[in-house]
Amino acid sequence: MATTTSLKISADAEPRQAAWVRWLDLSDRSLAILLLAPAALLLALIIVYPVCRLAYTSFFSLSLTSGLPAEFVGFENYQLMIDDPVFWETTWNTVLITLITVPGALIVGLGLALMANLPFRTQWPVRLSLLIPWALPLSFAGLIFAWFFHSEYGVVNDILNRVGLPGIIWFNSPNWAFAAICLTIIWKTSSFMALIILAGLQTIPRSLYEAADVDGAGRFRQFFEITLPLLKPSIVVALIFRTITSLQTFDIPYMMTGGGPGTSTATLAMYIHQNTVSFLDLGYGSALAVVMFALSMCVTAVYLRMIRTKE
Amino acid sequence: MTTTTASGSGGLLSGKPLRAIAAIILLVNGMFPALWILFTSLKTEGELTAKPITWFPHAPTLQNYMQAFSDQPLHLFLFNSLMVALLSTMLTLLVSVLAAYALARLNLKRRGLILAAIIAVSTFPLVTLLVPLFEIMRTLNLLNSWTALVLPYTVLSLPVCTLMLVSFFEGIPRDLENAAMIDGCTRLGALFKVVVPLCAPGVFTAGILAFVNAWDEFLLALSFNSNPQLRTLPVGIQLYQGEFAFPWPVISAALVVGIVPVAVLIVIFQERVVSGLTAGGIKG
Repeated sequence: MATTTSLKISADAEPRQAAWVRWLDLSDRSLAILLLAPAALLLALIIVYPVCRLAYTSFFSLSLTSGLPAEFVGFENYQLMIDDPVFWETTWNTVLITLITVPGALIVGLGLALMANLPFRTQWPVRLSLLIPWALPLSFAGLIFAWFFHSEYGVVNDILNRVGLPGIIWFNSPNWAFAAICLTIIWKTSSFMALIILAGLQTIPRSLYEAADVDGAGRFRQFFEITLPLLKPSIVVALIFRTITSLQTFDIPYMMTGGGPGTSTATLAMYIHQNTVSFLDLGYGSALAVVMFALSMCVTAVYLRMIRTKE
Repeated sequence: MTTTTASGSGGLLSGKPLRAIAAIILLVNGMFPALWILFTSLKTEGELTAKPITWFPHAPTLQNYMQAFSDQPLHLFLFNSLMVALLSTMLTLLVSVLAAYALARLNLKRRGLILAAIIAVSTFPLVTLLVPLFEIMRTLNLLNSWTALVLPYTVLSLPVCTLMLVSFFEGIPRDLENAAMIDGCTRLGALFKVVVPLCAPGVFTAGILAFVNAWDEFLLALSFNSNPQLRTLPVGIQLYQGEFAFPWPVISAALVVGIVPVAVLIVIFQERVVSGLTAGGIKG
């Protein structure tokens, strides 16, 4: 669909181009509009219109299972939400996952990046060890780690037993299940953090450390006074990206626990999915989505402000 | 990028033994989960239930792989995933190359604003669009089709790919295009004959990023395509679990089959992916 539009643009833009040469400014502008059009159309269809539609739907009672026509109910969906313990629990779980896994992945990612930045003679194994977790689908990571944490045949309990500790029945207890999910998310996301931080590390000129050596600064002082401050921009970018994606956590808990036991590991994204796809309650699902959207936009606002101050 | 700057400038760790320890930690952290799944997929049922568990398969068998393909239409899942990922990658590249060129080269007045809008859009959570997209796909009769996934996946990668390509295009000297245009090339001709070939590594990296994004996506695939013939890999793999039992060796085999295509891409193009990702990440 969008393919044909963009082909058409290139086809009729070419002959017109020749006449534009004398009016370069004008041509640039029209051409720019034509070139941006396919992207704008796609974004409008898949993001902008749906977001408007979302806000609209959240004020309606619209359940496909009830067979009733959509009815304007004002803020009723939102009122329902305030009285809904599952909404509060899933939102709290989402926030808790963000509060645990974002700093967790940052610390692990920083460690991985510092290690990956050592002067290894062959670079490709290091690169691969950071890229494989990044490229592994989240849903696969969820299944793989569900197998890792399996109470009888899982390798985690096997290692615990070998060092003389009792195995844990991870997925029967809300707290252990939650811990297993957080560990999996930290593993999955720390590699991408490490890649971004590594790029930041490699832009720090060696001369700074040499100067610090001359001044007699120890390695720890160098780390806290040179490395960390200069890494700040890459760390901020990595943190905010991770925070935004963390609010959308779905795949890993869905695959590992399905939200259980009970709803103890369910996230807001899972609750939206359940209300929409399983219960076909589009009105309530929309209201939930509006809340997540608002949460996410708060983070983005901070993000944009930081980028602006950076420039 | 890495050639001139100091490696080891982390400053905290140094020395040969430390390097060896670091290498082991990095490799185990990165590779062990995937390797463990590979081991599991080669084990027999007997080996799986032995206590304490065996780490390496002593009598490797391909039985689980055959079962993975016969229990569920794994080849169909693979085919759907490949087609959806390839189609959305191509569409993403086409659209983002055009947009990135406009942003990098044509002196737009509100360039900063457009870039900010692209960044903002890229942070919109896809989950929140589940309801309206579900409605749109339902009214357009696109539920249970590749298109229902290709369009959202294209948009998912579009912002990042565009930002990446803008930075790549800006690195190409304008003189090269001007020379081509003096030789009679149109602007678009110069874009596709000069700029895109010179940026081939960058375009390629953007493509891999779009491919991986589409290959990974689970929520929309789960919600929009329930027809068994149209399931993608992440959705299809769930079907292996029985009501009470998880046939782990068979699931592992299916997972290995699903990991291989992306792993091959990553192994071949690792260097490019790292530099592209970090360029995109830092600029984004």
